[in-house]
Amino acid sequence: MSEPIIRVENISKRFGGVIALNEVSLSIFPGEICCLVGENGSGKSTLIKIISGVYAPDEGDIYLNNKLYKKLTPIDSIREGIQVIYQDFSLFPNLTVAENIAINHQLAHRKNLVNWQEVEKIAREGLQRINIELPLDELVENLSTADRQLIAIAKAILADARLIIMDEPTTALTQKEVIALFKVIIDLKERGISTLFVSHKLNEVREIAERTVIIRNGKKVLDQDARGIDIATMEYHMTGRRLDSSNIAFSPPGDMHTPLLKVENLSLRHGFVDVSFALRKNEVLGITGLLGSGRTELALALFGELPADSGRIFVQGKEVHINSIQQAVKNQIGYVPDDRIQQGLFLDQSINDNIIISVIDRLVTRIGLIKSKTKNEVSNQWIQRMAIKTPSGKLPVKTLSGGNQQRVVLAKWLATMPKILILNGPTVGVDVGSKAEIHELIRQLANEGIGIILISDDIPELFQTCHRILLMRTGRIVEEYQRNDIDEQYLYQRLIFSENQAKAVSED
Amino acid sequence: MFGRFRVKKLIRSNEFVIFLILLFLSLTIGAINPAFFTISTLFDTLRSSIVFLILAYGLLPIVIAGGIDISFVAIAATTSYATHMFLLKQGYDGGILLYYLIAGGAGILAGLLNAFLVTQFKLPIFDVSLAMFTMWYGFNLFFVGATANFSLPKGTVGFYNIFVFTAQDPNVGETGLHITVLLALGLGLIIWWFLKYTTLGRGVYAIGGNREVAVRSGFNVRLIFFVIFGIMGLFSAIAGVTQAFLSRYFNPVIFITQPLDVLAAIILGGAAITGGSGSIIGTTLGVLVIQVINRALILTGIPVEWQRFVVGVILILFTSIPALRNLRAKRMGHTSQLTQSD
Repeated sequence: MSEPIIRVENISKRFGGVIALNEVSLSIFPGEICCLVGENGSGKSTLIKIISGVYAPDEGDIYLNNKLYKKLTPIDSIREGIQVIYQDFSLFPNLTVAENIAINHQLAHRKNLVNWQEVEKIAREGLQRINIELPLDELVENLSTADRQLIAIAKAILADARLIIMDEPTTALTQKEVIALFKVIIDLKERGISTLFVSHKLNEVREIAERTVIIRNGKKVLDQDARGIDIATMEYHMTGRRLDSSNIAFSPPGDMHTPLLKVENLSLRHGFVDVSFALRKNEVLGITGLLGSGRTELALALFGELPADSGRIFVQGKEVHINSIQQAVKNQIGYVPDDRIQQGLFLDQSINDNIIISVIDRLVTRIGLIKSKTKNEVSNQWIQRMAIKTPSGKLPVKTLSGGNQQRVVLAKWLATMPKILILNGPTVGVDVGSKAEIHELIRQLANEGIGIILISDDIPELFQTCHRILLMRTGRIVEEYQRNDIDEQYLYQRLIFSENQAKAVSED
Repeated sequence: MFGRFRVKKLIRSNEFVIFLILLFLSLTIGAINPAFFTISTLFDTLRSSIVFLILAYGLLPIVIAGGIDISFVAIAATTSYATHMFLLKQGYDGGILLYYLIAGGAGILAGLLNAFLVTQFKLPIFDVSLAMFTMWYGFNLFFVGATANFSLPKGTVGFYNIFVFTAQDPNVGETGLHITVLLALGLGLIIWWFLKYTTLGRGVYAIGGNREVAVRSGFNVRLIFFVIFGIMGLFSAIAGVTQAFLSRYFNPVIFITQPLDVLAAIILGGAAITGGSGSIIGTTLGVLVIQVINRALILTGIPVEWQRFVVGVILILFTSIPALRNLRAKRMGHTSQLTQSD
């Protein structure tokens, strides 16, 4: 085999007393697609930052293109052809596609004046190299996440990248866009450009990786040909324990006579049509469907954020009108959004404040002040119950990992003592270990009598938690399954089943 | 196909919308009082726009970079007034050029001071400008002089009356377009070129789009701030001097009520208050709209107090256009998602 583009040997890195990386070695060869897998806090990002020259290792050697670097700077790393695509893509939303692609070239060549024809030429060349067509004079802010990512890749290629490091590149992509991205990665490979794909979405890793590297607690625990490594093996190495989903104890849901929530013929223009279902006590009801199937709109309608146009909603047998979030909360309905960072949390505020914010009315004294002692008692109780890992509830939420942030959102809604809890993609962006714990928590909550609606397109997740699963397509509930009647493979096929195929089948 | 795309883009642009507003305003006012459609009104409107255009051109790059500055008016007042009082003491009786040179130099220094405070101590642009606004007016009144001064040097007498060309107006007789229109035009062209064709100018947009990424991409953000604040100081000084010679007196608190009018013109011209967008053509149209409204209210006999009210209403209507567009696009997006899969 040819020389590796990058070879790091016995790299260690400490931050204060914490060992982030412990004697990690890694080589990446030209044209290789390597996946770096690990839970949050495992040391993945530290490793990336060392390779790109942002951090200096405490011990160990870095060779780029067989040249030893004692002190690697970001400029050295870029010069040796290493490009990192961060999650924000480093783009300017207010500038055109062409300018965004060409801007680094402009700066690298220290040009003082802009030749717009040249900018367009460079941009076109960049897009051609990854076989992509995008409108050059469109503003980046008008493009989808997937297109922005392609622009970032085009930029990296123009900088003569030999290794492109992609940090969690599929977080905000739809299934289709992920497939398109994989095509680009394979295309790059054919031209000898390597990809280091950093992710914790194991099904994607399985699909794209040629070699899989797993790190846990700063140590490399696996580094081998990706063939023959299944998801269970990866999970085992990531978490260090077996995650068993086969024999989960489900408590039986309550009786159907007086359901907790009943929805009849609910419709919302541009959202969903004629939706009817019931949710029992102790039940976890899954609602699945592709993006645009109406699943999120349905959740928002039940939570009063996008009130339905027509139809009826019953809570414990009594008809209610939910036209605002306040009315939903009054009817003891809680909602945990899919974008927890934007919709569910005040990142700069303390964990305590975030937890008590939805029950603040109950904590005020007669003269309208909040007793900080009661406040801390209430929130500490939830921090313990939800096992939120933090030295103090007074720290801002942004100091927590993704999984722990999600627990804060859950705690915030559980503090309102809801009878009905709607969870929208509760484990999006959460690593495997925390995911299992959140699933456990969901089952536990159902055991305690809460009715839970779980909206997700993560099929294993539905099987981990749900009694029943409803499938939505183009705004309608098209099928209903009992969990025990089907398997994951079957549901996956039904989920991605296109409408045309569905029609063809029904006409047969 | 491509041509149609371009046309569509033009129609959707902010500049086009503000142009339509200008057209609509002019036609309405002309219908109420035909005196609006005279050469003398046109020349007067342009004459009263000159100084505002220069101020707005100087401020525009800072707004694009995401900053809001109000100190430019104080810099304009202090540099022009102090230059005048200084030259008066020296017994200067030459032309206007020396005024531009001294005030311009002082203006650049004042602008660089803002830039220094903003970049060195990482202070918010608005905070610095608020302090400088108060400081420079205070300095002017306390150290330089507190009264308007009407004694102009000999070499500058008659400057207010130099025209690029003159025309016969049926009502008022001979009327002219003042020479400083060319000054404003020239300064506008310089900023247009700077913003569009220099890497520094593109850096201004980059900072307004995402300052963090601009730093990461390798733009010299510090240098860019020094350049745009220097431009702001220079243009303010030029505007201050020009205003004084057009009105034939120096006022130590000139423009003190007007920083927000200039900002309003820039926003009307399509610049986002959060930075990242804005253009010279839009800014020019924005200034003209506000001047036309001012003139119109006089011509149509609407009380002067209404001026500000009307400008405010137009500003609200105009700034809500993009929001309405987004709303519509969102709704259409939802529909298309559903119909696509149907």
